[in-house]
Amino acid sequence: MSTETVADDGTAFGIDVERVALYGTLVGLIVFYLLPIETGLMTSLKVGPYSSAPFLPTLEASTTENYARAFDALSSGLVNSFILTIPATVLSALVGSMAAYGLTNVDWKGQVGVLALFIAGIFIPYQAVLIPVSNFWASIVPLNVWFGPIAEITPGLEGYHFDIFELVITHVAYGLPICTLLFRTFYKDLSDEMMEAARLDGASIAKVYRRIVLPLSGPMFAVVLIYQFTQIWNDLLFALVIVGTGEKEMLVMVALARLGNTLSDVGVGLQMAGALLTALPTLLVYVFFGEQFAEGIST
Amino acid sequence: MAELALDNVTKVFVEDDGNQIVAVDEVSVDIHDGEFLVLVGPSGCGKSTTLRMIAGLESITDGEIRLGDRVINDKEPKERNIAMVFQSYALYPHMTVQENMSFGLEESTEMPDDEIDERVSSSAAMMGIEPLLDRKPSELSGGQQQRVALGRAIVRDPEVFLMDEPLSNLDAKLRSRMRTELQRIQEDLGVTTVYVTHDQTEAMTMSDRIAVLDDGRLQQAGTPLECYHEPANEFVAGFIGDPSMNFFDVEVQGNQLRAENFTYQLSDETLEMIGDRTELRFGIRPEDVTLSNSGSDVHEFDTVVDVVEPMGDENSVYLTFDSEGNAGEDEATFVVTVGGMQKVESGQPVVAHIPEDAIHLFDAKTGEAVKNRSLENVEALGSRV
Repeated sequence: MSTETVADDGTAFGIDVERVALYGTLVGLIVFYLLPIETGLMTSLKVGPYSSAPFLPTLEASTTENYARAFDALSSGLVNSFILTIPATVLSALVGSMAAYGLTNVDWKGQVGVLALFIAGIFIPYQAVLIPVSNFWASIVPLNVWFGPIAEITPGLEGYHFDIFELVITHVAYGLPICTLLFRTFYKDLSDEMMEAARLDGASIAKVYRRIVLPLSGPMFAVVLIYQFTQIWNDLLFALVIVGTGEKEMLVMVALARLGNTLSDVGVGLQMAGALLTALPTLLVYVFFGEQFAEGIST
Repeated sequence: MAELALDNVTKVFVEDDGNQIVAVDEVSVDIHDGEFLVLVGPSGCGKSTTLRMIAGLESITDGEIRLGDRVINDKEPKERNIAMVFQSYALYPHMTVQENMSFGLEESTEMPDDEIDERVSSSAAMMGIEPLLDRKPSELSGGQQQRVALGRAIVRDPEVFLMDEPLSNLDAKLRSRMRTELQRIQEDLGVTTVYVTHDQTEAMTMSDRIAVLDDGRLQQAGTPLECYHEPANEFVAGFIGDPSMNFFDVEVQGNQLRAENFTYQLSDETLEMIGDRTELRFGIRPEDVTLSNSGSDVHEFDTVVDVVEPMGDENSVYLTFDSEGNAGEDEATFVVTVGGMQKVESGQPVVAHIPEDAIHLFDAKTGEAVKNRSLENVEALGSRV
């Protein structure tokens, strides 16, 4: 762009140069972010995945057979993942909220040290604790061995459900530091005088939590629920180690990792279909809770 | 009986670096049943801390607090049967006014729901907020929120009301209206009340007694007029009254007081009260000085008017002592209030009369009162015949 054609107010040929550049950048970013998904979508609908360039739609007929096959392969994994993720998410949000309340709104000796420990917990990588945790569940507290007999007499309840329960506890424990931190930033802003008023009105510390703090935590719950749902649903490492690769019990991420890998070829279309299918629940959670998420983030 | 006794109550805060801050220093006050006591003092004097200790929101380092004849030092806030109104109202934002007012009764009593509803509606009627019962706090104005906060305290029917600067967040007109209403409600209900404020007008107009605090120490506890006319020390004298009392440093010389700009003759009576002291602080309230355009009596002084602040009902006139006929900027000014109809102009020379029976004298070192205004001339308005 030659300088002579740019007028004083930034326009050139009557077009606002800055605006064009802004929108151009935005469109470029959108394309950059959405290209993998769009490619996956295109690939999953093609009969022959290499028949045209990855991001272009097929020139031949398109098929939904990949989705049907992916759904068959992933359905039990999806069910298992829901059994894992929903309780684990709700539980870790609740426990995080209670921990944050106790550390932020109640005064007691030594709470700064305890809080520091919680914060330090955020930085522990899952890989570092993988072996101890798996040993713990395999040898020290093998829940499905202990409760196996109950599973046999209860209809609908299987032994591997206890493995999933072990994973729920693990995720609640390892998600606790970040949940606590998120709630703490929210609870710090609650009015001290309001809680003192509740104490004077006769409410015990637990009652103040139940009747005052918890009802006011809505926006932050949305944030924590979305965050934890995504983390727990997408986790592969703990799912692989604690629940394993058994046909009935494996979680959807494990199932997805194995999808389409036969000895003869890598079914790329099938894998794409599976990936999109697996991403759907998280996407729906964002859609439903997204507005409250944005509200909660801004507090 | 809801007599509240503070017995040498002390509060020491220990900071992280080991520093000790004495916020409240051996404060002792006996509050009678049904009395309206105002704790007043400048910011940081320990009045809110004292109130919070009575409520149980702060622990007591030393001393005792007794309600009736029970020591309540170690009792939980909810066991003390005390209701508190906070400066920020502290309403529960997610509950309606009705729920806000019912909360205390639900949590601290076994009262059945219909009785709770009845109490809430009668308290709401007393505060004039019945049409607001279904609203949330965010839908109310500041004045309405304040009434809800008050109603929430009243509905509990406690032994003591505690109020922490409840009128500070209101605009001036609303504040003076609420002052009168609060007083009326307290008299109607007859509940012992401890009220904290930094505004000495509120202290004077609302209280049965005032307790003046400074730097954690109780300066004086007495009726408003006692604190006004017979202050125990210089601090109380300067704090109570608006515009403040005028102070001058004086030295005793024979039977005179010598200040930087004037000399004041003393009678034998006053000299006796002074005793051996040589350095004093001389105080005179603005309304006790009269202005005229001539006079050379022993207590009349030549002054020049510096600034006039017209209030409508009275004028605050700032004077400087006339030295060589001009009022320089480093001359000390003192304030005189005169009637609103008395016209005075800046730069005008006037004669100020400072009567001896109205002067206050304080020990220069300790601040203690040596001589206060004599109340012999107070006229009582007799009953209508």
